[in-house]
Amino acid sequence: MELKDRKEGQVLIVKPMGKRLDASVALGFKEKMTKFIKEGNELIVLDLSEVDFMDSSGLGAIISSLKALGGKGELAISGIQEIVLQLFRLTRMDQIFRIFKDEKDAVSALSK
Amino acid sequence: MKCRKIKFIIDSDMENVPLVGMVVNKLSSLIPLTNIETYQIELCTVEAVTNCIKHAYGGRSGNEIEIIFSISPERIIIEVYDTGKLMEKDFLSRKDLSTPKIDPHDLSTISEGGMGLEIIKKIMDEVKYQRVKEKNCLIMIKELTKEKINDSGKSQLLTNRPKGGKDGT
Repeated sequence: MELKDRKEGQVLIVKPMGKRLDASVALGFKEKMTKFIKEGNELIVLDLSEVDFMDSSGLGAIISSLKALGGKGELAISGIQEIVLQLFRLTRMDQIFRIFKDEKDAVSALSK
Repeated sequence: MKCRKIKFIIDSDMENVPLVGMVVNKLSSLIPLTNIETYQIELCTVEAVTNCIKHAYGGRSGNEIEIIFSISPERIIIEVYDTGKLMEKDFLSRKDLSTPKIDPHDLSTISEGGMGLEIIKKIMDEVKYQRVKEKNCLIMIKELTKEKINDSGKSQLLTNRPKGGKDGT
């Protein structure tokens, strides 16, 4: 899965470009996210606006990325589609990740 | 509409999981479900097939997974068969999303795996696991309500609201 990334101040914005974040791509996604974190990025906005299907493997890869931060910084979600948000609610991950309407709001919150 | 049924078989390769999801998504459009309900049906099927690949076959390709999808206005039934390792006895009944407590300040309370069956149990009305003709079979049933007539007089089919207080609309 292709991930587009760009920096805005101290915040790294990562945008998966595939429609599906599922078991078939979760490992590759996790490896790329871990690389970003190892490079020193601690404030990350994950823009999920292109993703219209996610399963527990995809969600697990996002949780792994959060754990890779080791309690430093933050991994926030932006642009999530209502359908995918259901999975976060179902697994109560909406209590773990801060979820923002769009990338601008997320970057603003993480920059404070 | 009477019950319609389709059987399809895939190789136990993760690359095939999206194919199953897309087929089930399209088949679900045979009855008027909301986008979220269609997503939930697709999600449960994908979770079940992924579990077969990961756990029954240990991530190895070259094995068959059979999916039988039945749809009627009353219910959707998805059966997923494998010939791999049998699920541990009582594993299904022990899986319960409501049990683990999540502490947002303690990452060790958050699991990054093993959520598939919990999700299935949360969404589906009935989930059974059994041996059928030397195959392991996970059966998932989603009950649908009868037709309701809305204000405009147009016939509208509504499903049961998902369990656990989700809005599902």
